[in-house]
Amino acid sequence: MAERALPRELIARLIRSLKRRGVDYADVRYERLLHESLVAEQGRVSSISVTESAGIGIRVLSRGSWGFASTPHLTPRHLARAGAQAIELATASSLLNRQPRPLTPVEPVKARYASRVAVDPFDVPLSKKLDYLLWANATLLGPDAVKRATAHMDFYKRRKLFCSTEGAQIEQVVIESGAGLEVVAQRGDEVHLRSFPNSHHGALAQAGFEYVKQLDLVGGAQTAKEEVLQLLRAKPPRAGETTIVLDPTQVVMQLHESCGHPTELDRALGQELSYAGGSFLTPEHLGQLRYGSPRVTIVADATIPHGVGSFGFDDEGVPAQRVELVRRGLFVGYLSSRESAARIRLPASGGAMRAESWSVPPLVRMTNVNLEPGEATLEELCRDIPRGYLLSTNKSWSIDDKRLNFQFTTELGWEITDGRLGAIVKNPLYTGITPAFWGRCTGVGRAEDWRLWGVSNCAKGEPMQLMHVGHGSSYARFDGVTVAPAR
Amino acid sequence: MVGERTLLSTLTALVKRARADAVSVCVHAKTRRVFRFAYEAIHQDLVQEDITVTAKLIRQRRVGVASADSLEPAHLRRTLQAAAAIAAHSPQQKELAALPQRTRIRASGDYVRSTTRLSAAACVASLQRLFQLCKGAGAKLAGSLVTGEDELAVVNSAGVSCYAASTVSGAKLVTMYRNLSGYASGVHRDVTRLDLDGLLKESLRRSLHRQEAVSPPLGNYEVILEPEAVGELVSWLGYTAFGAKSVEERTSCLAGRMGEALFAPEITIYDDGMEAASLRMPFDFEGTPKRRTVLIDRGRATGIVYDTTYGARFGRPSSGHGMPPDEVEGPLPMHLGMAPGRTSLEAMIRSCRRGLLIPRFHYVNGLLNPREALMTGLTREGTFLIERGKLSAPVATLRFTQSLLSAFRRVLGVSTQRRLIADPSQELGCAVMPALHLVAFKFTGRSESSS
Repeated sequence: MAERALPRELIARLIRSLKRRGVDYADVRYERLLHESLVAEQGRVSSISVTESAGIGIRVLSRGSWGFASTPHLTPRHLARAGAQAIELATASSLLNRQPRPLTPVEPVKARYASRVAVDPFDVPLSKKLDYLLWANATLLGPDAVKRATAHMDFYKRRKLFCSTEGAQIEQVVIESGAGLEVVAQRGDEVHLRSFPNSHHGALAQAGFEYVKQLDLVGGAQTAKEEVLQLLRAKPPRAGETTIVLDPTQVVMQLHESCGHPTELDRALGQELSYAGGSFLTPEHLGQLRYGSPRVTIVADATIPHGVGSFGFDDEGVPAQRVELVRRGLFVGYLSSRESAARIRLPASGGAMRAESWSVPPLVRMTNVNLEPGEATLEELCRDIPRGYLLSTNKSWSIDDKRLNFQFTTELGWEITDGRLGAIVKNPLYTGITPAFWGRCTGVGRAEDWRLWGVSNCAKGEPMQLMHVGHGSSYARFDGVTVAPAR
Repeated sequence: MVGERTLLSTLTALVKRARADAVSVCVHAKTRRVFRFAYEAIHQDLVQEDITVTAKLIRQRRVGVASADSLEPAHLRRTLQAAAAIAAHSPQQKELAALPQRTRIRASGDYVRSTTRLSAAACVASLQRLFQLCKGAGAKLAGSLVTGEDELAVVNSAGVSCYAASTVSGAKLVTMYRNLSGYASGVHRDVTRLDLDGLLKESLRRSLHRQEAVSPPLGNYEVILEPEAVGELVSWLGYTAFGAKSVEERTSCLAGRMGEALFAPEITIYDDGMEAASLRMPFDFEGTPKRRTVLIDRGRATGIVYDTTYGARFGRPSSGHGMPPDEVEGPLPMHLGMAPGRTSLEAMIRSCRRGLLIPRFHYVNGLLNPREALMTGLTREGTFLIERGKLSAPVATLRFTQSLLSAFRRVLGVSTQRRLIADPSQELGCAVMPALHLVAFKFTGRSESSS
């Protein structure tokens, strides 16, 4: 689909009109998203789709209350109506809201940001993408036990124009590419799934088609097929307390659920209570609570190259930042917005306001929440473990409404006996309490094994918004963890 | 609101213009007005207008799908061109189900004007009253209030031309008193019949308790699950077990077990998009009328849901459970119901010597071992210990890890009264569920304070 011109003049006129109506603050965000999705199943292409979505979201702060309205119709009449709706909402809410709603300051800039890509995926011929997809998919097929083989690719191009009554004018173009495989095998009542290179829809990065080529889907397909067949005759893990090593694919989910969500400041302030819940990391714990062992340093880094949580500016015009959330085990920072930062008297927003699309307001979201690397190799992490498990690739996830009690299963694990990796185990489950678990982190892998992943389905808010967020990690080791077979 | 005439004439013209062997166009237009509040302030209020147009075009057995978010003629033409371009590059499909033919579709008449006419000021006035009532009780309040409307239209080249409009409203209320929280939610297509005061009372009743929450020992408990908790478990079954794709892939707990008694005879589960108590949807995203499908009949596995593609593969007609053409999960049930029983929630509690009353679960996940319907999740606000037929103490958060194949085998009672369960801020779909009294449910973990 061809590019549409940015509606600069329409937006400029709308900003002038909102100023004239006396709002305390307003921002207008145009977005156009192009998403191409390719799926192959059982050796044939099963779905090719292209989705285009464009529209404008208007956020107004008036008399201490927010109002948000959106429209896909880019005409002066529709924009004026949406602007009036946003003001009407803010005015209505101000009847109830008694407290002022200060925002931390931000310098309004005129700026541009664009993803650095070698090959724009939308310039690659469809036939070339399909050839590669079908090749990877065919590699998964073979034995009768394989009941489903799926390969998929996804490409996104998001163009944004953000303008505010403070004078900001920011244009951003973000391109993302991703791909993955899934194979399901069954024998009798045993059914197992193996994904490559990760579950949760594979791998995704802020990159061009070159990223998909680097994933080596064909080589990964062969490994995934071999492992899923091994799972059919594998034993489950022994139940009990033991040492586990998580590979980077599973640390992704551990970071996401037990660090990313509880450090969202809006959540910690109670603004998600009716839906996703609260957080055990309430503001009185900031700088006080021991979150993990001294080996644990976790950052929210929106500046890291190729992260799907990276950008030039967030959706309220705050520059991308690297914010420490946990420093050597101590809880020291939040993911925050201009409003939530002001609420707890932080000097500035952490730049984490992000919206799924033009049709919804931004919320405090994860950017790239990463576990900083240590120095150990996988061999060194396993070396002094008499009996334990190496666990890989998230299969199920669940955590309580304060983000304390979590339980995960992974697609597979390997026994560790006297420091050496052994047989594959099926249906491994581990569970714990967030600060106690991270407090028993006794090793973090080296930078050479550190890898950044993209997650495309982080859900939050009402209406629910699905956000692309990043997580980077190496291997990590945890002692005294409750492990059981999922049955 | 776009309106039936505009939508159908626009789509019909588009379908007629398409140079293709077959074409189907589906539109979902929705508006949501959402107020979210916590601690005496509204922190988010929005009007969201969205329209999704998805075109599926077939040329020489090659399929292309494209979506857009506008009914502007130029954009619709571009969408169709994109679908045609994709089809031109797609491989030919050997097995290609025909598009649904024109059939008679009942209008659901679920569009209630009072829901769409409720002003922002009226919503805020309702919330003001709730905040005052809550303050009077010494409690704090958080939650959301949602109103909205949906229009769904499907037109295809085989003669399907159908349209449905509906409204929805709903509220979620969390009340907090000292260290305890209560919760209540309600949904109705008519906002004037949404009993906000009643919901607040229900939530306060659970949170205004003198006793601190207790942490009972882990293990098996007799449980009474209120409709929302039942709905969360059954909805996961809907996703992992009742769709034809999961049965074909053998991951469903029904695969290879059709006709077997999987659950107790008290349990009948069905999907019915036209049930009066539900948020009705007369046809699916392919334009096939919704057909009532019994999935579990008095404990026995009897059915799964199909769209045209999986219907053709299984040699069955579509049951009206097709999802939008760009979805890849296969057919799914969107209006699950559990048949009512013969008892009441109060009678269940009276008959329980020692057990747990659970109003809703948090973060249920049914992917642990779908073949065994093994699920995990947590309790949340309003969970109570029952001792000798009475609610004795609120219970701190507990985690369950439980196979529904075993939990739903031993049923002590199903309530006569059922409730409509839906998240009105989300997409279409709902569930109609009773309360369920089970002999045993396994609790495997608890949340502990961080300090």
